[in-house]
Amino acid sequence: MALRVGQYALVLAVAATINFALPHLAPGDPITYLYGGTEQGLTPAQIDELGAQYGLDRPLIEQYGAFWSGLVQGDLGISVEHRQPVVDVLAEHLPWTLALVGVSTGLSVLLGTLLGAWAAWRWGTRRDTAAVLSVLAADAMPGFWIAMVLIAVFAVQLGWFPSYGATSIDASGAAWLTEVAQRMALPAATLVIASLGGFFLLSRAAMVTVLDEPFVRRARAAGLRDRRVALRHALPNALLPVYTNLTLALGAVLSGAVVVETVFAYPGLGRLIFDAVTVRDYPLLQGAFLVVTVGIVLANLVADLTYPLLDPRVRRARPALEPA
Amino acid sequence: MNVRSRRYALAGAATLATLGVIAVLAPWLAPYDPGERVGPPFARPTPTHPLGTNDVGQDLLSELIVGTQVSLLVGTVAAVAATVLGTLVGVLAGYARGWVDTVLMRAVDVVLALPVLPLTIVIGVFFGPGLLTQISVIASVIWAGVARELRAQVLSLREREHVQALRVMGAGGVYVLSRHVLPAVAPLVVPQFVLATKTAILLEASLAFLGLGDVTAKSWGTMLSIGYARSAFLTDAWLWWIIPPGLAVALTVMAFAVFGYALEERSRPALRDASRPWPRPRQSPRPDRAAPAAPALLVEDLAVHYRSDRGAVTALDGVSLSVAAGELVGLIGESGSGKSTLAAAALGLLPPAATVTEGRILVTGRDLATLSAPELRSTRGGRVGLIPQEAMSALNPVRTVGSQLAEAVRAHRTLDQEQTRARVEELLALVGLDPDWAKAHPHQLSGGMRQRVVIALALAGDPAVVVADEPTSGLDVLTQAEVLAVLVRLSRELNLALLVVSHDLPMIERIADRIAVLHAGRLVETGPAADLLAAPRHPHTRSLVEAAPRLRVRVPGGPR
Repeated sequence: MALRVGQYALVLAVAATINFALPHLAPGDPITYLYGGTEQGLTPAQIDELGAQYGLDRPLIEQYGAFWSGLVQGDLGISVEHRQPVVDVLAEHLPWTLALVGVSTGLSVLLGTLLGAWAAWRWGTRRDTAAVLSVLAADAMPGFWIAMVLIAVFAVQLGWFPSYGATSIDASGAAWLTEVAQRMALPAATLVIASLGGFFLLSRAAMVTVLDEPFVRRARAAGLRDRRVALRHALPNALLPVYTNLTLALGAVLSGAVVVETVFAYPGLGRLIFDAVTVRDYPLLQGAFLVVTVGIVLANLVADLTYPLLDPRVRRARPALEPA
Repeated sequence: MNVRSRRYALAGAATLATLGVIAVLAPWLAPYDPGERVGPPFARPTPTHPLGTNDVGQDLLSELIVGTQVSLLVGTVAAVAATVLGTLVGVLAGYARGWVDTVLMRAVDVVLALPVLPLTIVIGVFFGPGLLTQISVIASVIWAGVARELRAQVLSLREREHVQALRVMGAGGVYVLSRHVLPAVAPLVVPQFVLATKTAILLEASLAFLGLGDVTAKSWGTMLSIGYARSAFLTDAWLWWIIPPGLAVALTVMAFAVFGYALEERSRPALRDASRPWPRPRQSPRPDRAAPAAPALLVEDLAVHYRSDRGAVTALDGVSLSVAAGELVGLIGESGSGKSTLAAAALGLLPPAATVTEGRILVTGRDLATLSAPELRSTRGGRVGLIPQEAMSALNPVRTVGSQLAEAVRAHRTLDQEQTRARVEELLALVGLDPDWAKAHPHQLSGGMRQRVVIALALAGDPAVVVADEPTSGLDVLTQAEVLAVLVRLSRELNLALLVVSHDLPMIERIADRIAVLHAGRLVETGPAADLLAAPRHPHTRSLVEAAPRLRVRVPGGPR
């Protein structure tokens, strides 16, 4: 466990260091990246002054130290576009992404895993092949394209769902919740379609392996119903590798969220990243990248900590269970 | 590679070849120069512009055709770079091991944990849009997956005997690596490359969509980006402006995915040979029930064939065998003799590739072939129980012993919670285990205890017949004797018809009343254990008896 925590700390450190290093490595003046530069109407003299003010004339190692001490205090710089601390801008948009990504990941894991297990149970049959091919097809479509097609069909042509935003200003209470759910439907559907594939293939492969285990055969030999063998014996074991590979999946959903939120004008981190790219708001972009990385690391940590609930073999040794 | 995955590989490869040809011939195939204004802006499809025009009047069909070039170029070049880097790192880490491995794999883990698209965006933005940036950014995030996969392959390769032998003989690292490891890894690199290309093409589309592509060289992603910016998806134009490039991306990625999937299925025997669903019981119009005096288990003239790539293989041929209540019959055979097939057939659990071509199996007088699916299910466990091979893994590792026993009990009887608990305790006591063990998980039990639980599970439905397939495999000698003693005692106490299948003649002769010898799918000899051992008639039996070590350990309760 300590090893895993160290690994995660390393991931965060590398992500932060990438953030620090990029403005220095990329062609051009760091001030341009950090504070907008001449495009923001700064004169060369002001740029030099800013450079001195922010310690850009100091040795790199000192700057790195200052960067870390700022980071620890939650200082991610000032957003050029929003003209307020990056932390505040992120905090405002984070809840929407958490909600969207949470709902989508949940659905995606559930559907992908069950469908994968279902296909494994029918391994090699026509239905299995059909499932694999459909999932590969869904996996092959770019998320932003699925988003545009869903909008064109369900929002524009059929008019069933709104095509943009996360809520409307005038709604409150239960109406507000309905509004939120309605507006989340299409983006969430897009993310589920785009990220289902990973879970499906993982769960199918795990299930095929588990179905070969002697205990599954023994359960059948005990006269259990197929459904019980599948759901109570094979699936709980097939879930283990799915659960430990949450990283891959969550990364996919979050990556999808960037483009999908953009198309749906959803006020989350993804849309924020797109806007930051468009106006070249470098500090905001870096902050968003860091927050997304922290999110992934935290989710993995939770998965690691809760894994023993699924697998009794790794549970901490209990008081010896000896017959009286 | 089986027929189906070969067909998929072919379909994928054909699609990719077509796309490649389109990319190369794009300048000649495209009706117009995609950079020229050739019509009015936002034109609907017409015969001269089958996909209409974009916001500045450029021909969309020409853009689509020429876009193939950029999408494929970025995808394949980035994937080549990522595969080369990933292969180097993976092979080096897997082969060198030690601190080199630790350092490299830490780096790989870190890259894998970073969010792919946000990372590419951050790097892409700083280095500005452009083809080269796109390619290097994409390659820099996808190499890690390749490295991890190849390291695993090299690690398993390293343990192969011929590589180990070379190292023992003092062959140099470079020699072993270049002459023996790399050639073996090469075929595994191909599916990795294909999957990397798939990821690279999707990433390119996303980057281009976000405006980080090369604006001078339009790809499918750039087309979609402009279509999005001009809100084409909110008008009828989605049909000719948005749908075609997206489909092109999907088709390309799908072709790579299917191709890679077929290759991977070939290179991973575990996936290919894994278990299939079980067959439906054959419905044959033979309703006759045997006479009441029939033995508990009766196998009549049984023939089982397996379908394989090289035609039908006979596993059992004209096997007849009976086990009466209270009788312990040992079935002896070498591996491949068909003994496990016979055990599976007795429970109606033959793999789907197997067919019963002749004969029948009667369990307590019921012909298994005539039973409906629910009847067959209640027969399993309820009339005939199985003590499977590999008993060490015959228990579900994530559930307690008690819950598995309770489940097996309830599969055959409707009992309330208290009654079920009582029955579980009774079963555990029957095999000599304290009832407290019901709360334990399988990994907390010793091998012998687990085997006792497996026996209790086989008895949960109160069957008349129990088939034990190599019941002592994987146990040490002392535990073997213990487990055999339990089996023998139970067969007497419960008046079970017990069929013990094994390759171990000394073990069988200690416990069996009668012995049947199976050789190449045929029953060559059957008889009372003492007679058969004293005067084996068939040459195969004779050689078995002569080969067996003569060391007698009496099993309590066994035949005198």
